[in-house]
Amino acid sequence: MLAKYIARRFLASVIVVLGVTVITLLLMNSTRGSYVPGIDLNPALRPEDIARLRANLGLDRPFYEWYMSWIWAVLHGDFGRSMIDGSPVMSHILDRLPNTLELTGTAIVIGVLISVPLGVIGALRRGSKTDHVLTVVSVAGFAVPQFWMGLMLILIFSVTLQQHGLPWLPSSGAFSAYAGGDILDRILHLILPATVLSFFYLSVWSRFIRSSMLEVLSQDYIRTARAKGMSERRVVYLHGLRNALIPLITLIGLELPGLVSGGLVVEVVFGWPGIGKLAFERALQYDYSTVMGVTFFATLLVIAGNLLADLLYGVLDPRIRYS
Amino acid sequence: MTQPLLEVRDLHTVFSTKEGTVKAVDGVSFDLTPGETLGIVGESGCGKSVTALSVMRLQRPGKIVSGKVMFKGQDLTKLSEYEMREIRGREIAMIFQDPMTSLNPVFQVGWQVGEPTRLHHGWGAKKALASAVNMLSRVGIPSAESRANDYPHQFSGGMRQRAMIAMGLTTTPQVLIADEPTTALDVTIQAQILDLLRHVNREFGTATILITHNLGVVAGMCERIIVMYAGKVVESGPTKDVFAHPTHPYTWSLLRSIPRLDAEKHEPLKPIEGVPPNLADLPTGCAFHPRCVFRVDRCTRDVPALLRVGESQLAACWVTQAGGELTGA
Repeated sequence: MLAKYIARRFLASVIVVLGVTVITLLLMNSTRGSYVPGIDLNPALRPEDIARLRANLGLDRPFYEWYMSWIWAVLHGDFGRSMIDGSPVMSHILDRLPNTLELTGTAIVIGVLISVPLGVIGALRRGSKTDHVLTVVSVAGFAVPQFWMGLMLILIFSVTLQQHGLPWLPSSGAFSAYAGGDILDRILHLILPATVLSFFYLSVWSRFIRSSMLEVLSQDYIRTARAKGMSERRVVYLHGLRNALIPLITLIGLELPGLVSGGLVVEVVFGWPGIGKLAFERALQYDYSTVMGVTFFATLLVIAGNLLADLLYGVLDPRIRYS
Repeated sequence: MTQPLLEVRDLHTVFSTKEGTVKAVDGVSFDLTPGETLGIVGESGCGKSVTALSVMRLQRPGKIVSGKVMFKGQDLTKLSEYEMREIRGREIAMIFQDPMTSLNPVFQVGWQVGEPTRLHHGWGAKKALASAVNMLSRVGIPSAESRANDYPHQFSGGMRQRAMIAMGLTTTPQVLIADEPTTALDVTIQAQILDLLRHVNREFGTATILITHNLGVVAGMCERIIVMYAGKVVESGPTKDVFAHPTHPYTWSLLRSIPRLDAEKHEPLKPIEGVPPNLADLPTGCAFHPRCVFRVDRCTRDVPALLRVGESQLAACWVTQAGGELTGA
């Protein structure tokens, strides 16, 4: 039953992958840019040179032909080479992936660890001062643009602290060139971007847990639990939270693709060498093959994330059956 | 008369609402003797459920403002929350109206039924589960051993209510409070659950408080009943006396509003005119007077106390306390 369900989901996802990659290619085509900025204007290149370059890269063919040969290669595990530097697209992705996983993974873990207790507190003390403060903070976290918050943090914790001769935090990159690989150095670099990213997650999720918990706490089975004579902590954190967390799984599942596209804005602001920044830079340079590779990869992870969330749902909620 | 197991004295429970303070329970007193079945009857919103929840101290967000609940020599209203937890589910168990929503959907039935013994007797998972399986089969769940691994959604409504009853009984409590235990069930299932409660009462000697709006249920189950209206007890006494000679106009009207197979002649049913009062804005005097066909002047001014009327009954009514009869109309 379960295997059949997964197989059907997998088949459906093939269509999604095809759709997403076709749309990406169409969008890139429609911008009518060139893979090397200014190539058409360079007086040193003769028209036949340009034509030869385009032919070498397959850009003279209609886009569907290009797409067919690309997808054929991808199905054989070959993501091709970057149009800019000629190195394999896959190695670019694999280079950047650990950094993105480090940043978004940290942000998601911090987000969950903080948002769950905050949401529960908000629900238990609904209408109190604490609840109002939490509401304001989370609305702020939701509303403040990430690039602005990132810049402000850099201004305060990197620039101002340094100006006053205080210990300061690095503003960009995943590690220092001179201390590459040092764990403490990596953690210091992680603090600011992870703060921005997790602040966003936790403001959304804590609201979500709060309302989910409020609904659960008004259920009859919570009254039953109290009537059994258990402590309020057991009522809330075992009987209540176990139910309130079920819908959160979907929300986090939807966030899993963020593991790849990884707060793109945050990566750009903090110069974080991740997948999101890779896609952003290469899109500006019309590096078709890299952008397509990243897109394909990201789509796969979106699908896997959703499937994983659905399967987890079934584990947490016995009422769900796959068919 | 035997020493009461549970004595409720002049209990007042209030709720703060936008419309003002609502006296959901307004001076309720009753006794429960060991092994008996007591019925609490009344319309929705008359305070019968809040009375039961107040005994368990689960009336939140309501507040118990005065009164006593004496149980085994201690006043439950004075206990700390921690001490009260030792009473709940161990000495006094409660089952609720809607078995569909009263069990936690994400835990196995056997686990939930065994939870009170794990909490109160400190039993391990295995021992608790074994006793849960035993109790589930005693309340009539077939192949209890395998059904204990099921989740609540795999049980029918009647089975869930049986599981709720089993959950209440695992710690062999002295009092079982059943709050409308059959209201949400099919009629045939209702009869089975009532049979089970009767059986439990006999076999375990558990004193039972049965809360219901269904007079037929009370007639078949309870030795004594109390009738509540607008947060107050308006009449109490042995069930058969109350049914034969109601001494409060509300009880009298209630009895005339239900069909009876043993009626000598076919009288049309007489619904009670008017609507139940708004608890935030009660009428002056007796709360029932706007709907009462026996009303006298005094009823609109003074609140009647609950006093002995006739041989065995108590009633809060100026008319019957003065020797008046409830007939005709």
